[in-house]
Amino acid sequence: MLPVAVDAMGGDNAPHEIIAGAQKAIDDHGIPVLLVGKPEVLEGITEIPILPASEVIEMDAEPGSSVRQMKDSSLVRAAEAVRDGTASAMVSAGNTGATMASALLRMGRIKNIARPAIATLLPSPGGTPTVLLDSGANSECSSEWLLQFGQMGAVFAQHRLGIKEPRVALLSIGEEPGKGSPLIKESFESFSTADFNGGSFIGNIEGRDLLTDAVDVAVADGFTGNVALKTIEGTMKTFFSTMLEKMTSRPEAASALEILEPEFAELFELFHPDTYGGAMLLGVKGVCIISHGSSGALAIENAIKVAAEMAEVDIVGSIKSSFNQSN
Amino acid sequence: MPAETHMEGAPIGRNEVLDIVRERLADILEIEPAGIVEGASFADDLGADSLALIELVEALEEELSERSTGFRIDDDDLEDLRTVRDAVDYVVSRFG
Repeated sequence: MLPVAVDAMGGDNAPHEIIAGAQKAIDDHGIPVLLVGKPEVLEGITEIPILPASEVIEMDAEPGSSVRQMKDSSLVRAAEAVRDGTASAMVSAGNTGATMASALLRMGRIKNIARPAIATLLPSPGGTPTVLLDSGANSECSSEWLLQFGQMGAVFAQHRLGIKEPRVALLSIGEEPGKGSPLIKESFESFSTADFNGGSFIGNIEGRDLLTDAVDVAVADGFTGNVALKTIEGTMKTFFSTMLEKMTSRPEAASALEILEPEFAELFELFHPDTYGGAMLLGVKGVCIISHGSSGALAIENAIKVAAEMAEVDIVGSIKSSFNQSN
Repeated sequence: MPAETHMEGAPIGRNEVLDIVRERLADILEIEPAGIVEGASFADDLGADSLALIELVEALEEELSERSTGFRIDDDDLEDLRTVRDAVDYVVSRFG
């Protein structure tokens, strides 16, 4: 099994949490890892192979030009490792735009796919998670791009979640076909007659449906998708912290919290982004997992697991063959 | 305008450069080469975003470095390349 290339320099908690997550993936799951980063920072690590990279693309750097100029950065070297066949996949919690640019420019785009999209899993209590894409790669999209996102999302749902016939929907402001922006209305037409690799188009959904079992693949432009994602994450964070504050405000409430702790821990895990490890960049010729900038060891461990699984099931090959058949 | 105006390399005609730019751009944007005219604006007419332009730049560098070793488009010059014609003129000027 080829190792997963992990950008040891990317993210707010790099390199310590990244290294800890990589070590857990090796110890607990037997997944080989290749740490990519500055040798002087990774000095002393003897049990994990290291791919040296002398530069780091900062979190606020301009994606395109930084990838072009910093050819010996950990992000670029990780993407090249996948391209050159020395790694099965890459994981980074660094600059999202630069991760996408590195993957796009070094691995290349899959033929017949205009733009890559970021697919994020949203929790759905009692059901399988919902795939939301694009969750931030492309702020402005055409209806053709949205259709491709839906088709890639369907293949992803099949491989990542085991859903044979994924239900694909457009994220809008009403369920009726006439509701939504001009882009959504135009897309509704093309989605209605499109092939989703065995899945089906079920129409429009609203934001309230995202965390339910009403849909498997929710399609949006990257601006809308990112706003929806960040709103959900922010709401969850505020809700849990406020609830904890309230539950410790009186001794009786604190006692109740102690009793309910296992249930709350389960809920916290279900809704915490770290549980899902990261989002996958779909449409490039390699597996690229984009983790949260704030990722800790658990998120990195889970991201490495997902990366290895997606490489193992050849998600890229499936998307390639799906697009060659349907185009 | 280009930071360096001339490069050593095999001569290349303007039409040949136009064909290369068209083909690479068509491949990146998944559109027909015939629909790409010289006066087309990358952003307004072709819908090319900044990443698509960087894809184009890297593709041109890869292809043209075979004709002229080390051919490179300076990042500082990128903002001046707004149309297909700008890109073709830029490449032609670099080859002298």
